[in-house]
Amino acid sequence: MKARQRSRTMLRTWLAAWVCLGAASVLAADGVTVIRAAKIYVGDGSVVEGGAVVVRDGSIVAVGADVSVPSGAVVIDLKGGSITPGLIDANAWVEATDRLVTPLPSAAAVLRELFHDPNHNHAGTVGCCGSMCPRSYMHADGAKCSSCGFPDVPPVLAAGTRPSAVSAEQSSEVIPHTCVIDSVNLRSPDFGRLAAGGVTTVFVAPDSAAVIGSRGAVVQTAGATSDRVIREAGAVKASMGTDPSWRGMSNNMPFRQFVSFNTRRPTTRMGVTWVFRKAFHDAQRWKKGEPRGGADTACDSALKVIDGVRRGEIPLRIQARMQHDIMAALRLTEEFGLSFVLEEATEAYRCLDEIVARHVPVIFGPIYVSAPGHRAHAAETHRNRLHTFLALLNAGVETALTAQELRDEDGLARQAMYAMRNGATLEQVLPTVTQMPAKLLGLDNRLGTVAAKKQADLVLWSGEPFGATSKPVVVMIRGEVVVDRRKG
Amino acid sequence: MRTTFLGVAVLLATPFIVATPSWAVPPVKLALQGGKIIPVVGKVIDKGTVLIEHGKITAVGADVEIPYDAMVVDVSGKVVMPGMIDAHSQRGMDVSNENAPVTPFLNVYDSIDPSKLYFEDALRDGITSIHITHGHNTVIGGLSRLIHPIGMTPEEMTQAADVALKISVAPKRGSDRMVQFATLRETFLELDDYLEKLAEKKYEESLEEKDEKIDVGPEEAQKRGKELIKFEDYDDKHANLIKLTRGELTTFVYCDRAGDVGRAIALAKKHGFFDRMVFVLGTHCYKAIAELKKAERPVVLGPELVHRERDSLTGKLVETFVPKVFADARLRFSLLPSPNTSLAERYLNYQAARCVRGGVSRSRALKAITLYPAKALGMDKKLGSLEAGKLANIVVLSGDPLDFSTWVEQVYIKGIKAYERSEDVRLKQLFGDDPAEVSEEANGDADKKAEEKTNGKADEKAGDAAAGSDKTDATTKDTPADKGESDSNN
Repeated sequence: MKARQRSRTMLRTWLAAWVCLGAASVLAADGVTVIRAAKIYVGDGSVVEGGAVVVRDGSIVAVGADVSVPSGAVVIDLKGGSITPGLIDANAWVEATDRLVTPLPSAAAVLRELFHDPNHNHAGTVGCCGSMCPRSYMHADGAKCSSCGFPDVPPVLAAGTRPSAVSAEQSSEVIPHTCVIDSVNLRSPDFGRLAAGGVTTVFVAPDSAAVIGSRGAVVQTAGATSDRVIREAGAVKASMGTDPSWRGMSNNMPFRQFVSFNTRRPTTRMGVTWVFRKAFHDAQRWKKGEPRGGADTACDSALKVIDGVRRGEIPLRIQARMQHDIMAALRLTEEFGLSFVLEEATEAYRCLDEIVARHVPVIFGPIYVSAPGHRAHAAETHRNRLHTFLALLNAGVETALTAQELRDEDGLARQAMYAMRNGATLEQVLPTVTQMPAKLLGLDNRLGTVAAKKQADLVLWSGEPFGATSKPVVVMIRGEVVVDRRKG
Repeated sequence: MRTTFLGVAVLLATPFIVATPSWAVPPVKLALQGGKIIPVVGKVIDKGTVLIEHGKITAVGADVEIPYDAMVVDVSGKVVMPGMIDAHSQRGMDVSNENAPVTPFLNVYDSIDPSKLYFEDALRDGITSIHITHGHNTVIGGLSRLIHPIGMTPEEMTQAADVALKISVAPKRGSDRMVQFATLRETFLELDDYLEKLAEKKYEESLEEKDEKIDVGPEEAQKRGKELIKFEDYDDKHANLIKLTRGELTTFVYCDRAGDVGRAIALAKKHGFFDRMVFVLGTHCYKAIAELKKAERPVVLGPELVHRERDSLTGKLVETFVPKVFADARLRFSLLPSPNTSLAERYLNYQAARCVRGGVSRSRALKAITLYPAKALGMDKKLGSLEAGKLANIVVLSGDPLDFSTWVEQVYIKGIKAYERSEDVRLKQLFGDDPAEVSEEANGDADKKAEEKTNGKADEKAGDAAAGSDKTDATTKDTPADKGESDSNN
């Protein structure tokens, strides 16, 4: 079943890519385009009824109910519908390579297909030699796997949707000198799928495998390749909790110099905190020219970046799901006087006061009842609550919403839809996928709202944005139509 | 006032009422008043009343006179629609298919587990009827059952027993289409063979009774013996197949690809079950729309609604929204909820919303989750719309069914209140209203896995608690219990 889903995913990706390629040539970027809709959602909470957006040279020139339409302008008019800013996912996990074009199902997925065993519930774990857990398909639902210990011990790599394994650098626990942009294939169909879902800008998040991971990149999901990258070296991503620790659990001797997650430290939350703390201490020593040593000493180029984080020049993200991980992140950053953005924050509802007191922005999500994708296998996501997102908003926390690796119908628009089902209003939700992520990425001067002089990243919906019966009909990036479903 | 008086009267009588599960005690007369009514058949009533008597709908309209002794539930500002129907579900049973390919003697009754959380989920999602049937991984499966998601035993849950037989013309796992059809043909050949032998045997037996010896050839003996066979003479293995060939049994036929459709129709026509066949279709089958339109049999689609196919030559991908094709062909189709509970597609009303997004009319999309599945199951006289005479399987929603922000507020099954959102303990917990949170943290972080293991027990407790609280809500107790009465259609 999973294998079938993967192949569907692949097909979907292809479609999206074709949609983009086909539509890109429809409009000349230097022409004037006027988009009309019944409602324009500006993105800051305000709404313009029955207006138009005038776009020239990739920028918004005018927005309003009675703007003058220059003659010869291309008019896009659905006789209804609504306009929102292009959606921004501030924590997208992008399949950076062309992996999706030629997907190889995992060994476990093949076995699953072969034996059609509905009871097996994990994809097996990768041993130190890189082989798949042989018992992965042989045990019943709920039973502990005698070989790998699942579910007591989470598997290393879950089948199905997973973080971009290619950007999980394995050489050290402290790798902020590496940049995820070096792994990103801008022609990856994954970007086409994002664009098709109305997402125009993403922060390509590094993998959460390292304690202090790589630096993310901000890219546009479609358009001319030369214009796509907005920021090459963005925020440094650090991780708390089990993501960086359990991959070191089977802390075996390296097998023929094969250094992998399994041969590295740390193995516990204590170890994660220690690595984080040591890195920042080392950065201070590096600054003073003092000697550094011991296990897991980061290289000088990494320490240079960490020093930049310490001085507030480079933004820091910390992924923490459970309450005690969020608390650990708050503790560590307080210790070194760092400001940061909290990612995922599944259990934020349990330490809301602490988050509010520190004025920490949160990139929350995804919202779910039963954890999708790789989260289904993580022991950190069982205590999600549906009111968390609204509670963050109501507490005045700067909150953005993310779909991470979820795509297509299940993408960011649906996350907004879930948020609305769980009690938030459209006025509350829309800024969390437009204005707020733009602000957290430091791009609010050019992205995130439908306003004059802003970049013309727009989505034209067939009905109300994020409604169950509406869809993005036209997606525009820098004034160029990149997705066009007007003909069905 | 009337209700209050009644309430007081019944409150006084409460000690004499035997404690029964709350759902087993329906009020004799119930009026859902003031809501927007979507009857599915007929026009939407902006503000109306649904009157229920003895578990059946007796009146639907803008100005229905409410009897003086009816319990009135104010649903103003809410939307009332018929309970949604899941036309094909393998959930709620332990394993959906046997290893043996031909198993017409099986019955899902033996496999239904009323303690499954799935049934609680179904109520929460507004599903009042579930057709539990064998999965697609079979050649000929067993008999299915239509249940409602309340009750402590499969009998109590039953709305209709032995609703349909399952046949799959798509290959069972491990075989191909040739093997699949060879097995199907062989099964029916063997059935003919069995009938001939049985007839011969019956004729012989009838002669033995008269101490006579067989006097004719086998063909004549078979002919004469045929009339002597009673239905009880058939063994379990063949009885359901005989019902099938006589057109006495609905058959759910699964086709995976367009090519399966024609073969399935030919098979059904040859063996006499075409008039009772229901198609369960994979997305690819939209290509056989001409054949399906000609056949004019009910169709069950989903849960995947988009067919994606890549041209192997050009690499171009074609995406087809399947329900639109069926709607354009004016075929009646039913939708299925996704078994993947992490997706919005788990909600049948969301599946209907997807249809509207894909260009299907609103009324057809709503019928696809109510009336059409009822028709496919042969239960449209009892289920599928809000009309006088039908069972009071009703969902009260907070808003429009096709708006994803809408929640199921109340569910009535045969007039019995089966679900009330404000009393949904689990849902409240998901929204942070969890009194156990503090003490739990004090006791250390109990693993959710452990919770899941005790879920069954938690269910019962929640049920008991609900029953307990209902005792104070005396208005629901104005009738003696007629518990466990199931509407068997056997």
